[in-house]
Amino acid sequence: MKDLEIQDYFLKIIEEDKNMSNGIAAIKTLLLVLERTNFTTIQELVNTIKSAVSSLKNSGKPVTSVCSASELFICFITLASPKLEDKTMDEVKTIMLNRGQTFLKKLEEGRHVIAKHAMPFITDGCRILTHSRSRVILETLKLAARQNKHFHVFVTTSSLDNEGAKMVEELKNSNIECTLILDAAVGYVMESIDFVMVGAEGVMESGGIINRIGTYTMALCAKEMKKPFYVLTESFKFSRLYPLNQRDLPNSYKYPKNSEIRDDFKKIHPLVDYTPPLKITLIFTDLGILTPSAVSDELIKLY
Amino acid sequence: MIEGNKYLTKELAQLIHDVKVGKLVGSYPISKYMLENLLTIVNSTTWKTADDLMIIVRETGKILINALPQEAILANIVRRCLKIIREEYDELNMPQQAKQIDDSQAASLQKLVTQNSERSEKRSDYTNSHVDLRENLINHLNEIENELHLSHDNLSQQAPEHVHSSEIILTLGYSKSVEKFLKSVPKERKFEVVVAECAPSCRGHMLAQSLANAKIDATVIPDSAIFAYMSRVNKVIIGTHSVLADGGLRAASGAFTVALAAKHHSTPVIVLVPMFKLSPVFLCNFEQEAFNLVGNTESVLPYNTRVSNAIKAYAPVFDYVPPELITLFISSNGGYTPSYVYRLLTETYHPDDYELK
Repeated sequence: MKDLEIQDYFLKIIEEDKNMSNGIAAIKTLLLVLERTNFTTIQELVNTIKSAVSSLKNSGKPVTSVCSASELFICFITLASPKLEDKTMDEVKTIMLNRGQTFLKKLEEGRHVIAKHAMPFITDGCRILTHSRSRVILETLKLAARQNKHFHVFVTTSSLDNEGAKMVEELKNSNIECTLILDAAVGYVMESIDFVMVGAEGVMESGGIINRIGTYTMALCAKEMKKPFYVLTESFKFSRLYPLNQRDLPNSYKYPKNSEIRDDFKKIHPLVDYTPPLKITLIFTDLGILTPSAVSDELIKLY
Repeated sequence: MIEGNKYLTKELAQLIHDVKVGKLVGSYPISKYMLENLLTIVNSTTWKTADDLMIIVRETGKILINALPQEAILANIVRRCLKIIREEYDELNMPQQAKQIDDSQAASLQKLVTQNSERSEKRSDYTNSHVDLRENLINHLNEIENELHLSHDNLSQQAPEHVHSSEIILTLGYSKSVEKFLKSVPKERKFEVVVAECAPSCRGHMLAQSLANAKIDATVIPDSAIFAYMSRVNKVIIGTHSVLADGGLRAASGAFTVALAAKHHSTPVIVLVPMFKLSPVFLCNFEQEAFNLVGNTESVLPYNTRVSNAIKAYAPVFDYVPPELITLFISSNGGYTPSYVYRLLTETYHPDDYELK
């Protein structure tokens, strides 16, 4: 498949299903690549996939979860191949496609599993602070509302693109009480809430997270006021980076691809920030409720 | 609600009764009794397949959780037992794959990537019957009983590594593990133990008495003096009721005070936990069902005083101590940090059994 076709397909499925995470879309696209390419060796396949991944990264969408999900997909192919040594390449392909479907299904179920894990933490009368818009958080809060729990959600506007306003809209549609607050009001509301609950674009090997800018500020405030800081995220967002500070984050994560002044990064507002593991109380994933230090353990087991 | 439940045996009712009236106290006797109970269930002829047995064990667990929600150990023993049934069954059912399964029980990223669709579904089927299952289970449960029996000894064997000459050690209330631990320090080492009495039950007095009888220098202080005393303490060693999944403690009320004071003075806090006290439970919020208990307030404010009808009195039994205040856990097989608890949990219990309800 041509690079442009790959990008188009990727952008199309994101457009079609607004609820789909970029990571899932990337895996879907890669499965299509696997289906369409003819290969004679596994090595060749891996190379094709790798070039497809790099074109996905150039598509202008946030790349954090695309990176981690595609890395997981490559693992999925290379770890499976030793078992398939005595098969022909056609057989290998069908086996992989079948397994790919179950893999994808597992990943898509992730959000429900996370919501279920988080349920006991949302109780009647509690007040929750969240940042910007996150699909996992939305799903979790909706599930809690369906269970007839009464709670109040504070959402920051996230002034870069006002995603928070969209979040509030969606919460209101599900009859959840919520308030839109300014990004600068995080410190002000912190004393009145019970806990913070945010999503993540990526989870680092240290157990820290990469998320929409402002998350780190929120985590610092929460730590200062001794409020629990919960992160809800799917496990395909685990990636093998180990940033020590904000500068360590790759520029491709921080800055939008299609901005015009690419050479002068320092003048552009970064899209994401890094929240170190010490500020995080628990990470809810489809693998269970983890402490930040459990993340590296999971990654070591895999790679 | 419990009455009429066919899984409620006489022994089980006896256990619940004994714990409720305070005849059976302390985690070790309770867990021992529980394990014996489970052995009787395994021994009985009412089950044919592992699946049947797991249902009986799980129902037993449910009865206990409903009747005695605060005794986390009971549920832990049930979880442990379920895991053993799974293990033994898997070993009999697919001996050649048993080793592979061993390290892949918990959901992990690796499993997500390498799984084969057919096998993952087969794993939840426990309906084949095996002749050897009963015997293997009994052997394995006996091993666990042995482990339970030795857990205090194994714990206290490590005492010489942690307590040194002329140290001052602070502890709170009365814990069997702490008592044994301190008594196993070699006699040549002279050290001092400061016991916070842990009002209103003042079980600390018992510990101090017992230590003094063993010729260990013991001092009793009121709980209000914990902070003042902390500056000269070298180490805090406490027991706990149970350890939660995040590495926090559910310990005797007063433990949080001790841990905070220790943090202020950068004094290490060591917690003694036999393995069966690890619970895969999170503290979601402080109003959580059965997290805390309120005890008798007679010793806080006697009922026959003039003011007692005008004011309220509370005597909560437990404290939650967050993991960041704890330096080290010492269990039967060595020391570990709070961040490692999650790992021990996945090794000890099967994730499907975390929720018994």
